[in-house]
Amino acid sequence: MKSFAKTSFKSAAHCVSPNRRRVGALLLLPLIFAVLFFAVYPAAYLVLTSISKSTMGKPFISWVGLNNFVSALQSDFAWSLMRTALFAIPTSLVQLTVGIAIAVLLNAKMRFRTLWRTLLLLPLMSPPVMVGVAWKVMLHPTGGFVSRTLCQFAWLHTPSSFLGEMPWAILSIAAADTWQWTPFIVILVYAALQTVPAELEEAARIDGAGYLKILFAVQLPWLAPALIAIYLLKLILSFKTFDLVYVLTSGGPGVETSLSSYKIWKTLFQDFNLGMASAQTLLLCLIVTLITLPVTWWHRRIQRTASL
Amino acid sequence: MNSESVDKESLENVFTRRVFLANTTKSALLLTLTGQLLLSKKALAGAYAGQSLNLVLIQPHKISGEVLRKNFAELTGAKLNVTIVPYDAIEAQATLDVQSGANQFDVVEYWYASIGSLVENNVLQDVTDLIIKDEATIKTSDYIRSIYDPYTLYRGKRWGLPYDGDTHVLFYNTTLLDKHGVKAPTTWDEYLIAAKKITEAEKQNGVYGAIIMGAAIPVIIGSTFANRLAGFGGEFLKPDGTPNLESDAAFKAAKALLDVAPYALPTPVETAFEQAVPSFLNGKGAFIECWTDLGVYAQDAQKSKVIGQWDVVQLPVEKKGDQPRASLNAGFGLGLSTATKNKELAWEFVKWATGYQTALELLTTSNSGIDPTRLTTLNAEEYKRFAPKVQKAANAALSGALAWPTIPESPKMMRSLSEKLNRMLADRQSPELAIRQINSDWVQILQG
Repeated sequence: MKSFAKTSFKSAAHCVSPNRRRVGALLLLPLIFAVLFFAVYPAAYLVLTSISKSTMGKPFISWVGLNNFVSALQSDFAWSLMRTALFAIPTSLVQLTVGIAIAVLLNAKMRFRTLWRTLLLLPLMSPPVMVGVAWKVMLHPTGGFVSRTLCQFAWLHTPSSFLGEMPWAILSIAAADTWQWTPFIVILVYAALQTVPAELEEAARIDGAGYLKILFAVQLPWLAPALIAIYLLKLILSFKTFDLVYVLTSGGPGVETSLSSYKIWKTLFQDFNLGMASAQTLLLCLIVTLITLPVTWWHRRIQRTASL
Repeated sequence: MNSESVDKESLENVFTRRVFLANTTKSALLLTLTGQLLLSKKALAGAYAGQSLNLVLIQPHKISGEVLRKNFAELTGAKLNVTIVPYDAIEAQATLDVQSGANQFDVVEYWYASIGSLVENNVLQDVTDLIIKDEATIKTSDYIRSIYDPYTLYRGKRWGLPYDGDTHVLFYNTTLLDKHGVKAPTTWDEYLIAAKKITEAEKQNGVYGAIIMGAAIPVIIGSTFANRLAGFGGEFLKPDGTPNLESDAAFKAAKALLDVAPYALPTPVETAFEQAVPSFLNGKGAFIECWTDLGVYAQDAQKSKVIGQWDVVQLPVEKKGDQPRASLNAGFGLGLSTATKNKELAWEFVKWATGYQTALELLTTSNSGIDPTRLTTLNAEEYKRFAPKVQKAANAALSGALAWPTIPESPKMMRSLSEKLNRMLADRQSPELAIRQINSDWVQILQG
């Protein structure tokens, strides 16, 4: 059977006329050009600029080997990578946990479910800059809702600067990021919850399992591969956080909330150092890959276990 | 000499002065309204009618841009398109316009401390020869000496003309000072004592002794630090161009900044121009170090709740008897972008926009954000009448002012200074540590 299929494929290919083959190749050309233009060229440009002394106006002034990478690792940027990892890993985890909780609640039979779902989507639909502005106003030391409320209840004696003091500044960014991105996780988890077979839940119920037992013993194990994929996705998004840092703290106090994307932006758009910014970008990619590798491996392992 | 003759003589004198003043004002107003003398015959003949010119300005100068657009169109028939950008983004916008090849701007407003960087990045055109050619119209000797060179000179050539001569003076709320029996301070120690006294008494009412601009933006916290550095007699760089921050004056300046922070409007690290000015105008702070045009905002009924309840003095110094010394904080020039395709018209515009008549009109326009760059505008009767208190303080402040570095590395050095000082305020770090870190950063930056 196998050899028959192989032979028939070969003969079919043999039967295709050279003209048709040429037409096929021509039809593939736009795709090849698209891949070259949108994927290969930017990647190659990034790599080449990272080993050169380049500005926006004067790329490839001279080749500098790995100097940009060494300088980046010896500068504040190394700390920003560490800071970004410390920001991305826990915030993604918190957002996943909160997202699961809300999705499970939405999945349960409750009143006004459609209304809640719509309201939950609002932060996701808001432009990130506006999310930042709203949080900035809310957290402003004088007149901001949070500081004023805490002062009114005497939990604070004097107006406090949430965006100007550590660790409050980074926690404020994390809170705004959670507010903005948790709905995204809710949607994904909610969609995944719809794939849990009703028979499984029914069987568990007949066996006497309660609501929590079904959640932890049936639904979550079933969803595990999807949840890990969602975590992976959010982790990558968190590593790229820029807009909230830009609007809320501008990387301050000092440089203590300068996450890597913000730092790269500053290198490119304030120092105009394209070579260094490219090297920093590649270093960030490397760190993201190294951190997400175990999650990817775990995801594959769980998927394999589930399929057995 | 009898009393009648005295009266007659004095009446004649008054009459003569009145007539003279009235005539001077009339002619100045006429020139101000037209600004024709600054334009070439070709421009006035309508040779540029229908052409357009793109200008990029900082947001605080938006109203000045509207005045320029309207008047330039009336005089030349040319259309001026004004792009407004945030004040801390002007260098990036101008540079990216050229480096990206977008080439949108003909004339750029530049922060004088970024002149070296803009020249090295091929953003500004050399206008030395043009200035020499048009000296009769421009009258470079009329520019305030402490402003002209820092704003335009780099590597022995001129790259633009001064547009907004910024310097800080100390504004204070007279009602608050009278209420607490405090006098306008002359030394930084007196300033700290006064701020502390007022804050301790008024904090519960949301009123503070000082408003400190400490946001991590070079023209914000950099200016706040530079005020103190100038007051303590310091300099940013040594004559050989190496950093001069590990000096007694720099340590004292950083300490003075840190000491007053607890008595300032919450919180200095988050306070920039846009938070500080409304707070002072709403009576929330007793002192604010600010650009001279705050005096105009303070008399604007739409913006201010402290009309007639403020005054202004020169910045404090280290000890009584020292000569007050301002710092050239911010400060902008107009230059030709290397991207311009209409150099002739662009130069006509720069000449006209920075000339005496136009400058005087902008100076006496409410909320234009423009401060004097010329001796004649600084001392003009119109300006004295428009902002009498401010004119007096600005006049005194601008002689021998401390200029910021203008070398290509200056923007990067000032960003490092801003970040480190902001962190010092946020973490209550020791001033010595902060200053040493900045000095070390500057050494590294200068070594490339």
